[in-house]
This record gives sequence, structure tokens and C-alpha cells, in this order.
Amino acid sequence: MEPIQIGLIVSGGMLVLVILGMRVAFAAGLSGLVGLIWIFWSRRGYDPEDFLWALTVAVKTAGQVPHSKISSQALSLIPTFILIGYLAYHAGLTKALFEAAKRWFAWVPGGLAVSTVFATAGFAAVSGASVATSAVFARIAIPEMLAVGYDKRFAAGVVAAAGTLASLIPPSAILVIYAIIVEQDVGRLLLAGFIPGVFSAVVYTLLIVGMAMTLKNFGPPVTGFTWKERFTSLPPALPIVAVVVIIIFFVYNPFGGDAWGTPTEGGAIGAFIVFLMALYRGMRWPQLKEALLETAKLSVMIFTIIWGVLIYVRFLGFADLPGAFADWLTTLEMSPMLILICILLAYAVLGMFMDAIGMLLLTLPVVFPAVMALNGGMNVTAEASTFGMSGTMCAVWFGILVVKMAEFCLITPPIGLNCFVVAGVRDDLSVQDVFKGVTPFFIADAITIALLVAFPWIVLWLPSQM
Amino acid sequence: TEWNVSVWGARRAFTEHVERLAELVAERSGGEFTMNISYGGLSGNRENLDGISIGAFEMAQFCAGYHADKNPSITVLELPFLGMSSLEQEAEVSMALYQHPAVVADLARWNATLLMPSPLPQYNFVGRGDAPSSVEDFAGMAVRATGGIGAAMSAIGAVPTSMTATEVRQALDSGVVQAVSFAPHAHMSFGTIESGEWWTTNLNPGTVNCPVVVNTDALDALSDAEREILMGAVDEAMQHYLDYYNDQTMAAWGPALDERGIEQITFGDAELAAFREAAAAPAAAAWIEENTARGLPAQELYDFVTGLIAEGN
Amino acid sequence: MAGASLVLSDDSFVSRLDQSLLWLERKMALVSGLAVFSLMILAVISVGGRNFFSQPIPGYVDWIEQAMPLIAIMGIAYTQREGGHIRMDLLVGNLRGRPMWAAEFVTTLAILILMVLLVWGSWAHFQRSFDFNEPWWSRDSSMDIRLPLWPAKLVVPVAFFVICLRLALQVFVYGRALIRGEEQPVGVPLHADAATQAAMEAAQVSGRDD
Ligand code: NA
Ligand code: NA
Repeated sequence: MEPIQIGLIVSGGMLVLVILGMRVAFAAGLSGLVGLIWIFWSRRGYDPEDFLWALTVAVKTAGQVPHSKISSQALSLIPTFILIGYLAYHAGLTKALFEAAKRWFAWVPGGLAVSTVFATAGFAAVSGASVATSAVFARIAIPEMLAVGYDKRFAAGVVAAAGTLASLIPPSAILVIYAIIVEQDVGRLLLAGFIPGVFSAVVYTLLIVGMAMTLKNFGPPVTGFTWKERFTSLPPALPIVAVVVIIIFFVYNPFGGDAWGTPTEGGAIGAFIVFLMALYRGMRWPQLKEALLETAKLSVMIFTIIWGVLIYVRFLGFADLPGAFADWLTTLEMSPMLILICILLAYAVLGMFMDAIGMLLLTLPVVFPAVMALNGGMNVTAEASTFGMSGTMCAVWFGILVVKMAEFCLITPPIGLNCFVVAGVRDDLSVQDVFKGVTPFFIADAITIALLVAFPWIVLWLPSQM
Repeated sequence: TEWNVSVWGARRAFTEHVERLAELVAERSGGEFTMNISYGGLSGNRENLDGISIGAFEMAQFCAGYHADKNPSITVLELPFLGMSSLEQEAEVSMALYQHPAVVADLARWNATLLMPSPLPQYNFVGRGDAPSSVEDFAGMAVRATGGIGAAMSAIGAVPTSMTATEVRQALDSGVVQAVSFAPHAHMSFGTIESGEWWTTNLNPGTVNCPVVVNTDALDALSDAEREILMGAVDEAMQHYLDYYNDQTMAAWGPALDERGIEQITFGDAELAAFREAAAAPAAAAWIEENTARGLPAQELYDFVTGLIAEGN
Repeated sequence: MAGASLVLSDDSFVSRLDQSLLWLERKMALVSGLAVFSLMILAVISVGGRNFFSQPIPGYVDWIEQAMPLIAIMGIAYTQREGGHIRMDLLVGNLRGRPMWAAEFVTTLAILILMVLLVWGSWAHFQRSFDFNEPWWSRDSSMDIRLPLWPAKLVVPVAFFVICLRLALQVFVYGRALIRGEEQPVGVPLHADAATQAAMEAAQVSGRDD
């Protein structure tokens, strides 16, 4: 049998294992290992005497992957970003942020919902994970919105949707994962997420204001804050701004001299500052230990999928499946833009049933080279390319699109993790309630994605400056 | 016979001899002996020797400096200031060293047979800010230089700073480091010349040695005719590599510097002699001592290499 | 999608085995967490050293690479114990009783087989980097400052061995539950529906901001 056929059969088998409920990391690792054994054995003509040889070579090949693929400086950002989120919570930064957003922005139509979006976007600048962000703001923002008469389902929907901003606005664990899988510069991708993240927040805001002005019985604006109250709300929220500014100053020294460090160091410095604040706010060893254990559990979960999938990817390399898929896709008689849109739609469907990280890790090894080939290859210039951007920039653009799709999946039924978490925080809300409340934001996200596809410069302007 | 070949990155000057070798072998065997060259699909670049040792693929390229303890004998070619004057000479010296019994035994631990080198020019620095006019000006300068080159630079008071290759551009732009050492093709692909302001033409603190190896069992399993075809194609593949590097990469390098108005700094002989004295002898002595302790005939290997170079110059 | 989970315990032998394994697993996960924390401290020292004393940490990247297996792999058994490795539970989530235990038994056994093979493979990876006759016992070293790699490589088979113990225990419990038709066996993460799970996950960040 040809390696490519083996590749297709084993990939199908992996999907079956995943659907049967085998944990994704191990389903991918097992499929990869079985595939490697099969490929090596086929090279010896399936001679029974050579099975042990094939098994040994496959096991030793797979056995290198966990250590060698995990030992990377870029991957060290993931646990750091997760830890920052827990520490920021202990530092009390979230509540202060919401209070300030409320006093400044709640007077517009749909004001409290708008404030929630702004506060969440601000928190996104220190938090690297969507689910954690939604969980935190569900506790802070929903009660306030209910108190002034918002529909409880809509209030929950706002929080679930706004939480997804954390994965576009840097820092973002999922953008780091994308960069690692497709072997692109982490710093450039993180930078690229900023404007689309803010852009998404603006689209959410416009949607809310529009709904507030047209729908009856929508939550009223909250007015009556004096300027004094507004300004006194700022100092407690300042630390978060300070952290962001320090990270930016750190990486782009504004005093004209040399920068103090690289972006990866900047992330770690940010975490350290938040750690000091949490200490100041009374965090002690028991809370720190709990935060470290939670960070470890979440990090290990992510890293296990990473190496599991990379065993499968190693097998794909021996089967040359990504190359074959890219060849097939580029010979299709369809416009490349249409193919790209089909790929994004396929992600929307897949994301209904899968976790965002698992989905990206499982599909990107095959899909990314194909998209690059559609654009004309990794080394193509902007002029010669299909989508009018260089290979590097196409990798950035596609990364932001895919991450936005993955975030979209966090709020779509039946498995929208952010919605589950929000419902979990609030005893009075069922998951169905949250899904109902988040529906308007599907429209907002669809608009955002369409605009990012149509106007790539929204994504590419900032990274092209570096 | 079908061989899998593990290299990494994109197809570039650095892999042209492997591509040429595959072409020649397929041609001369009438398509009976083929090579699938995989760019990163079969292994990571630091695990290529592991893959050879396991038998996962039959041929691979790697750099000695990625993992000195895996291949201590050939790191002698990465010592600073060996005084290689051309890629041709480096190819020749490498080939000769690869036949040395101690080197053959060292690589035999990985079930690997050395086939050919991938000679690279001497590393030099692209930097920003005040250009050094003498070697002393490197004192206190933060530079990106790893391994032996880092050690040589600290001998003249520079501060070697550790970071991954992909972070280098950002670090140079922002001033985290003031200068970065690479071979010219890497300066172009990592974009350091986009923001660099000066280039040291002849500091020549060393380079990396990146051989192509084959799995010894696979080599033995070839028919005599196939083995003859493979070995017979090596010289021609090497010549193709050297022509390609000289005619394409190095030819593009000078104009690339001029286009960007990068100042070219050439140090005087006396300066370089002082640098060499400060860095070369201690590095060589340390290498010999350390590798003698490993049980390698380190002094002999060092004399062998420096002898060949002296002969050639 | 499993995050938090529910593991019952009593004073049976299996449960005590689960508890002692859990003790070890928590220690190992805490090492993971502390390694994350030390990364942060290392960055602070590196940046401070470079900017204030012109003295960066030599081999900063090498040290980070050495710490990564601790962070990424040490806690693998703890995460399995808590049911923290994600999966699609659309199908399994709708099963009850024996069919569910059958599904859990099969998938867990498959994971056990995979992990036993990977103990072998990762041990071989360690072995290739280790040699009693070399200085520092090292046959493989890092790029910049040439740290021996074998300690970091050894972390992998050790952690994988512990998850094999955990998986063997789970396979036993699922198998027994399958035979006996138990409802709520001890020592394994019980399936909570997605909403209950989310509630537990949310509870982890509750009560801190009040
Ligand atoms: Na974020
Ligand atoms: Na979903």
C-alpha cells in the first residue's frame, strides 16, 4: 500500500477514536504510532520477521517526540500566560477594571454591556486564555447587568462572547500554539492579534448599541456618575494599564535607547509584576500553590495534546500526506478565495464538536501547508501571490482567521466551552440560556471574519511595521 | 532502493548538494535508486543523528555544534580562527577529517558514516549603532553569538547573549543586542541586514560544521553497483554546492550590503592577530584538554586539521 | 472538554492505592507549577542582569529548554487522574452503566498500551544521550553552553511510568465495574455532564474576588 493511503486510513482511524471519546492527545499519539509501525513494516514488505524491527523503529521514533518537541523557548510562553491569568485574579485587577469601565462608558445605550466588553478587552491584555476570562467576568459583570434590568440570557451572552477576545488580544496561548505548529515567528503573530482583537470588541460594541437603540426593554443606560467618581475609579484599575504599558515600554523602549528585553522576556516580566501585586493584595502560599497546581494541570493538558499530535505529525511526514493534500487542493478548479472560505466554514462545523486547541492541532499540519500552497508557497512575494501577500504575511493572516474561527467555536452549540463556564458560574442560568443570549454575537463574529477576509490589511498593518 | 533523507528548513544553498546527489543517483541508476528528501517531516534538526541511529531514515544532515557531546570529534572544525581561506579548502579539510579513524569511530556510535560536508563561510557580525573601529570596541557590547564563537567573543570582553534565531531580528532592532553573528545566507534569511548598519568583513571568529551522513547498515545493504553510484556522485554534488554558494549566495551578498548602505568594516592584521591570540589558543587548549578526557586523540585531531590548513595556505 | 472532575474514595484497597498514587502525582504536578514560577524568576534575573550589570545569564535559552519537560510532562499522571485531558464526550457522555464502562475500559486500555510503548521509546531516547564513560555521563548536550541533556530526557520516561501506574489502576477499576455493573466505582473520574463540569471549573475561580 502507498504511504499516502496508509496516511488516509490512519487519519480516518484517529477521527473515529476521537469521536468514540478517547482523550484527544492519546488518540493522536496512538494513531501516529500505529501509522509509523505500518509505514516501516510496509517498507520491509510486511515480512513477519521484520515486524519487531518496524515496531522498534516506530516506538523509538515516537519516543523522541515528547522531549524534543516540548523543549522550546517559544512554548514556554504558554504556561507563563496561563499563570498570569490566575495571578491577575488574585491581584483583584478584574473587579477594578469593570468598575472603571462602568463609570466611564455605562451612559451609552446598552451601557453596562458595552462596559463589560471594554473591561474584558482590557483584561485580555494580561490574560492568555478565553475560558478563564469568561469565568472571571461572569461573576463580576452579570449581577450588575441583572440589577438594572438586562435580560439574563443576553447578559450571559455578552460575557461568553467577550471572553473570546482574550485569545486575539496578546498575550494569547492559542496564538503561540499556532505559531509553533506552523513554525512562524511568535512575536509577529502576537502583535498581529491586537488590532483584530480590538476590532472584534468594536464590532461587539456597535452590535450592542444597535440592539439597545432598536429593541424594547433592553437594559437602560446607567448615568449619573460624577466626574469625580469617574476619576476615583481609575487608580485601582491603573495596575493593569501599568502592566501593559511596562511590557510595551520594555519591548519598545520609548526613551529612544535600547530595549530592555525580547517579547518573550516581556511576557515573563509582566507575570512577575502581577505576581508582586497579588502578593500585595494578600495572596500567600496556599493560594499561590493552588494557582501553580491549576497552571500545571492546564499546561500539561495543552502540552500533552501538542506532543501527541506531533507524533501523529511525524507519521504524516513519513506518509507525505500534507504534501499530497496541498497538491490536490492546488489542482482544484475553484477560485482560491472560495477554497479558503470553504476551509473556514469547515472549521466552523468542526468547531461545533471539538475543543479549539485540539481542533487547531489536529488540522493545521495538513491544512496550513495547503493554504500556503494556494497562496503560491512559503517564499512567494506579495506581487506573485494569489492573495496579494507574501508567504510570511499569509501565515499571519491565516493564523488570525483560524484563531478567530476557533474562538467563534467557543460560543457555538453544542460544545461552546465559554457558554458552559458562564452557565456554571451562575446557578440561575442554564447552558441553553447562555447559547440563546450569545446568538446575536454570531452575527458580529461572522461580520468580523468576513471583514478580515476581505480586508487583510486590518490584520497585516501592525505586523508589517516590525 | 528507496532512501529517505532528513534535512530541515527550506530548500536553499545549504541543501543543494543533497538535492544534486539525489538527482545524480536517480539518473545513473536508471531510476532504480531514489531519494525522498524531506524538509523537517521526518525529524527535528537536533534529532537527525538519533533518527540515523534508530534506522528511521537512511541519510541526514546536521550541524556538529547543535550537540557537541554527540559528535565531539568533528567539533574541532568549529574552533575559532582555524584560518580557513575558502569554502573549497573547508570542504577539503572536512573530507579529510571525516576519514580519520577516531572520527569514523565517533560517528559509528550512531551507526552513521560521514558522506560529505556542507561548508559555510566564516561567521561575521552585522551590527547597529557605533561601528567598532578596533577589536577593543567589542568590549562590553551585547552580541548574539553561541557556542565557540560566543566563547571567542567573551575573550575580547563582548557579552554573548543567548536567544533563539527567530528572536534575533527583533533583538537587534530593539537594541537588546548590538551585533549578531551568522553566515551571510543566514543574515539574509533572518533579516538582520534590514536594520543592520555595519558588517565585519574579516573578523572570522569561526563557523559551524554540518556534515551529511548515511546509516551504515543501509550503506552496507546497497548493491555494489548502487554504492559505487552513490560514492561516485559525491564529488560532483559537492562541486555543485560550492558553485551554487559562491555564484548565487556570495554574489548576492555584496550587492545586498551596498543596496542597504551597510558600512563594511575591515580590521587590520595587527588587530586580528591580537584577537586571535586572546581567543584562539585558549579555545584550542580547552578543546584539547576536554576531549582528551573523553578518550579522543584530541591533540592529534587538532594537529591534523591545522596541519592541513597550513599546507593549503 | 473535561476540566474538573469527581473522583470518589472509600477505605477499600483500590481507593487507598488511588490516594497514595494521588499523593505522588500532586507532588509531581507541583514540581511542574514551581518550574513555571522559576521560568518567570529566571527571566527577571536575566533581564536585570543584562541591563544593570552587563551580565546576562549564560545559556538562558538552554536553561529554559531544560525546564520545559518538567513543566510539560511531570504533571501528566495528575491530569489523567483528575480527568483533565480533554476529549469529545458527546458519545460517551450519553452512555450509562455497562456500555459506558466498556467504552472507558477500551479507550483507557488503548492509552495504557500507548504509554507503555512510549516509556520504552522515551527511555531509548534518554539512553542515547547517556554514557557512564563520558564526562558528566553526557552523550548529548545543548547548543549554547553545552548542558548535558540526559536529565531532561530522563524526566519523560519517569513521568510516563507514573501515568502507566495510574492507567493500570483505571483499567482495573473500569474492568471491574464492567463485570459487576457498578454505578459509581471509586478511584476513577466519574462522568459529570458538561454543565456540572463547568460549574466545578467555575468554582475553582470562585470566592476569591468577594
Ligand atoms: Na489575551
Ligand atoms: Na462549539
